[in-house]
Amino acid sequence: MSDNLKSVLFAVATAIICSTLLTAAALGLKPYKTRNLVVDKQKNILKAVGLIDANKRYSPEAIETLYTQNIKNLHAAPDGRILAENETQEAALSLWLYMVDEQPQCYVIPINTRGLWGPIRGYMALEKDGSTISGFTVYKHSETPGLGGEIERAWFQKNFKGKQITDVTGDFVSIGVAKGRVADTVPDPKQANFVDGISGATLTGKFLTEGLKVILHEYEPVSINFRQRKVSTQK
Amino acid sequence: MDDTMKITHSQAFKTFTEPLGRNNPISIQSLGICSALAVTVQIKTAIVMGLSLTFVVAFSSMIISLMRHHIPRNIRMIVELSVIATLVILADEVLQAFFYDISKQLSVFVGLIITNCIVMGRAETFALGNPPGLAFLDGLGSGAGYGVVLATVAFIREFLGSGKLLGYPVIPQSFYNAGYENMGFMQLAPAAFIIIGLLVWLQKALSKEKG
Repeated sequence: MSDNLKSVLFAVATAIICSTLLTAAALGLKPYKTRNLVVDKQKNILKAVGLIDANKRYSPEAIETLYTQNIKNLHAAPDGRILAENETQEAALSLWLYMVDEQPQCYVIPINTRGLWGPIRGYMALEKDGSTISGFTVYKHSETPGLGGEIERAWFQKNFKGKQITDVTGDFVSIGVAKGRVADTVPDPKQANFVDGISGATLTGKFLTEGLKVILHEYEPVSINFRQRKVSTQK
Repeated sequence: MDDTMKITHSQAFKTFTEPLGRNNPISIQSLGICSALAVTVQIKTAIVMGLSLTFVVAFSSMIISLMRHHIPRNIRMIVELSVIATLVILADEVLQAFFYDISKQLSVFVGLIITNCIVMGRAETFALGNPPGLAFLDGLGSGAGYGVVLATVAFIREFLGSGKLLGYPVIPQSFYNAGYENMGFMQLAPAAFIIIGLLVWLQKALSKEKG
């Protein structure tokens, strides 16, 4: 057998053995990985509404229980009306409600936007007054660790709590990431609409500001309904 | 006494312990520094990274050593790389399935074990010329040597940087109330550089003293 033929055969055999092993591992572990993703998503929704503490550890079971007890995944029509549980509609917006005594306490909207290096995914929870942010989380991003990557850290996300997406007159303005500290860079009446920026990550902040504006604008009909107290439990 | 002498002078024992100290992959051979900077903010990630690398380097060395008489020379490195890559992806899959939070923190760095010079280095310089058992021990030692340095750096960084060990706060609240502050610099990559530099210095100084 010539040397070349031997090399080719050896390469083919190595490739087949390696790929078989990898396929088997990927298929065999898929159920576990899928469950991890589901639990991670639930955990982030719970974190956005403030039901779990970012610094504590929770078992997957505890998260699943908390989630099913408190959170409802529903859809809203483009006019902002929240659809009943089994109702679907084209162009419906997905959202989650944090229920307390059968009444929505917060509504959570999915954040899916772009950052400097790739998509940023997370959740934003808004209180039932339709303008106060009650939490913000990021569960997936590709920003630079230590710079833009700080968006996943508690100190950055904590700044969103209590901020407003409306101005003093009640009109929608969205929420922005300031260049630097809000107290130093943003004039007084607008401070409620900005969070502290990350030094060295101006562009991540800019993309996040733009993305949040688009998404919050899309959900504005829902927010208006909450602001006008139109949302209750429509049974 | 004679028995312990035999063990400590056996080739297997030497193969295993050399990379732990005298021939440590990070502090002496200066390999694998990149990941050592990235994953040493917390002890937990450092340990998992050390274990993953140990798994990969031990088994890849053993498998490559088993095939050493059969690998055609012209595709030697390609074959080594496929073995290493397969093991790395396996380790990554297992982490994603069973240690999801840690795998998220380690992100790309487990995947980058493929390009870690320690793995390829051991395959090329040791596994190709030694029997599988010794190659396995050599890999185990190299991985452990890497892991020990990683854990040491992470211990210093987590303790000084966030006042915690393995995620549990160890600096009492009264210290903070009295004005103590965590050293934020320790959370950044340059801190790892400085600590590794100091460790290299320490080790060189100690080994000189021994003569």
